[in-house]
Amino acid sequence: MDNDITMESAPTEITNAVTRTPKSLTTISPNQHALIRLPSEGMKIVLLKPNGVISLGKFGSFEVNGILGYPFGQSFEILDDHKVKPTKSITQLHDDAPASDDGDEEIEKSELTKMFSNSAESNQNIINIGSKVQKLTSDDIDELKKSGASSNIGQTIIEKMIAGHGGFDKKTIFSQQKYLKRKQQKFLRRFTVEYLGASQLLQYYVEKDIQRILDMSEESLGLIMTYSNVRPGGKYLLIDETGGVILYAMMERMKGEGTIVLIHDNEHANIITLRNSDYPEEDINRMVKTINWLQFVEPENEKIDWDEATPAEIEQMKPSKQAQYERRSKRAQEINEVINMTQEGNFDALISVSTLNMTSFLPYVLPTIGGSRPVVIYSQFKELLLETQHFLMKDKRVLAPSIFESRVRAYQTIPGRMHPLMTMRGFGGYVLWGTRVMPKESGVTAIGRGIIKKKKEETPSEDTPAVETPASETMSDS
Amino acid sequence: MSFFKYKDVIEEGDLVFAFISRGTIKPITIKKGEKLNTRYGHYEHDDMIGMKFGEQMAGARGIGFIHLLHPSPELWTLSLPHRTQIVYTQDSSYIMQRLNVVSGTRVIEAGTGSASFSHSFARTIGYDGRLFTYEFHEPRYLEAKKELEEHNMKNTLITHRDVCNDGFEIANIPEGFVKDGGVSGEVVFLDLPSPWTAIPHLEKVISQTARVGICCFSPCIEQVDKTVKALQDEGWIEIEMVEVAGRRWEARKDMVKDVGDVVKRLKDIQSRKNQGIENKRHAKVQAGDKRDHDEMDSGSDDGAEKKVQNTGKGFNPFGKGVRVREGDEGFEWRNVTKVEGEIKSHTSYLTFAYKIPLPKV
Repeated sequence: MDNDITMESAPTEITNAVTRTPKSLTTISPNQHALIRLPSEGMKIVLLKPNGVISLGKFGSFEVNGILGYPFGQSFEILDDHKVKPTKSITQLHDDAPASDDGDEEIEKSELTKMFSNSAESNQNIINIGSKVQKLTSDDIDELKKSGASSNIGQTIIEKMIAGHGGFDKKTIFSQQKYLKRKQQKFLRRFTVEYLGASQLLQYYVEKDIQRILDMSEESLGLIMTYSNVRPGGKYLLIDETGGVILYAMMERMKGEGTIVLIHDNEHANIITLRNSDYPEEDINRMVKTINWLQFVEPENEKIDWDEATPAEIEQMKPSKQAQYERRSKRAQEINEVINMTQEGNFDALISVSTLNMTSFLPYVLPTIGGSRPVVIYSQFKELLLETQHFLMKDKRVLAPSIFESRVRAYQTIPGRMHPLMTMRGFGGYVLWGTRVMPKESGVTAIGRGIIKKKKEETPSEDTPAVETPASETMSDS
Repeated sequence: MSFFKYKDVIEEGDLVFAFISRGTIKPITIKKGEKLNTRYGHYEHDDMIGMKFGEQMAGARGIGFIHLLHPSPELWTLSLPHRTQIVYTQDSSYIMQRLNVVSGTRVIEAGTGSASFSHSFARTIGYDGRLFTYEFHEPRYLEAKKELEEHNMKNTLITHRDVCNDGFEIANIPEGFVKDGGVSGEVVFLDLPSPWTAIPHLEKVISQTARVGICCFSPCIEQVDKTVKALQDEGWIEIEMVEVAGRRWEARKDMVKDVGDVVKRLKDIQSRKNQGIENKRHAKVQAGDKRDHDEMDSGSDDGAEKKVQNTGKGFNPFGKGVRVREGDEGFEWRNVTKVEGEIKSHTSYLTFAYKIPLPKV
């Protein structure tokens, strides 16, 4: 739908940005990424280069300088010559519409009737004559579009379309509003600039590439972040197959403090979505330690035996050899550091968002999680978490594992006309949450049927406590 | 601060969550000489000191056990003695995610209620964030204040106030809590009977430089209606109401019962019945002549063998007449999920909106 939108900046540019002030969460700032929302509900991630021009395809182009300094969340309307003016929202018609006590319906009705029209009380007079109802042809609209890079052209087209609509006054106020909204989504040259938080990044991928984020919904992401108790200063073990969306969400909550050990199944970790994060590379390197599964599963074999050369030896090396030595030394240190961290264990949470067979990696991973720390595993499929829960219940190192599902249902939010929207996204994943515990190896007797039976025999009158028993037991029928 | 950082070993004075069963999690403060009594045995605090968080502990008389867990806002929510309706994790986690509550965020919450969400907010905003929470009901306020102090929630300021009538402004804000001369909240959460009366008071306490997000939590649609109107009147935009449906699923096992086995069992019963009749006849005619039960036709094939439970009643593939525990060996099971018995089908409506500061002219 908005394929005609082009990425203004090469995504790699962020990595070689030099010293910078910490990114702003509140103000639209230069050299920072942002999410642009369009009236069509399309989205776009852009880098705000000073003096740059960003093209929004059919919605027009604008100069970056014109939006800098405004708070994130601000909407703009594109004027002539790539200039913009702030506007209250991307859909509201007139900023200056006075707030009155008559209620919204009246205001909107008067706004609509301003456009040469009246509303019907019901739809009984509507006769479907197809496209003939619109006197404005598509050629006329194209003509209008060409005539104006002028500021209000979207508005003008909509007003002319309403004027040219033979049956507009026969529509009810409700359907007039719907009509208006549809046309606004198509013609208004407005956009909103939002801070690119984890939710925005996720929403972006929900639209563009839902497979990348394994069908995850915003509510599932929220559940993962809350159940895993992510906060500044923690030390977390993460399996993230989303290209770093989960990693980004964690970094946002940790604010530069703490460590994330990321296990990956290729030679190098894929954290491509962090290119939009605006975190300086040194911050990422400090917080995120990557380790592949081979190194994780066979740490002793994979540790690098590295003999530091003496300064004198280094001195003797040729410059090219010296550089090679430095590189290899750094690599060895990094690998050994992360392997040591996993061997040391005591992680503050396990967070897994992956397509790997969970029961195959849990035996390696569970011992590294600290006592009483959360274990949080996401899957697109409940069935996979079901296998995992059975595995964990047998294993006993995770207490009370359960599978959670959260689905958000949006409503049409108009006073007097609230109702759930007719459609919603049908998937969003499942989250298994449990707590890592250390079961006693012996000397523990559960209070179960045997004990109660005994008790009953001793004191038949005593109330026996309710004990959870599987439902499938069958009583004797003989 | 136990809600802010994990520790490994239990010491005197620590807050520990005794996990007794799924429905029973008891917060206890470790004190020498005391003991925890449960219907699953009793547990000496002295024995807990020096144990690790997460360890399983056996009851003093050798029966029963509990797990000793580290505090977290989520366990706190599960353990709460409900003073008021609490905000459940499915709601609270979504609200924080959607409004981008992260380390450093300044949050306004009214009312405090059971302080369950306050704990969750305080954890997520961390040492750098600030939580301003208001409660108008005095006993609840005192209880929550005590709890927040005990839990060392130094980033949280609780105020006894009816925000609907008296607004959110605080006269003497402690120094560490002031920003831009006041509260300057960036995220607002209203869990009040009539949020529309509080909304007009917000202007004075929300950030004038950043976009402010709000979530109003109301159980009735009529409340949402009034809330939306108030938000519109006060210049809030992108107003959207949603509902969160949360479900908990349990992994279970369901026995695979093939009709073939049913047929075999019926045949078996029939043949034994006939045998019985014959036996009786034989017995009458010729006392002492026994026939071997195993000779009967049970359509024997290899798969059936493991399904035979030795109950002395022939072919019994589904364990009729004996106690069968879910997952018992000797039977065929498949893994299934079952939803919790009682679903929270409606917690509250969540009305979200944003407010953008007016452009600097």
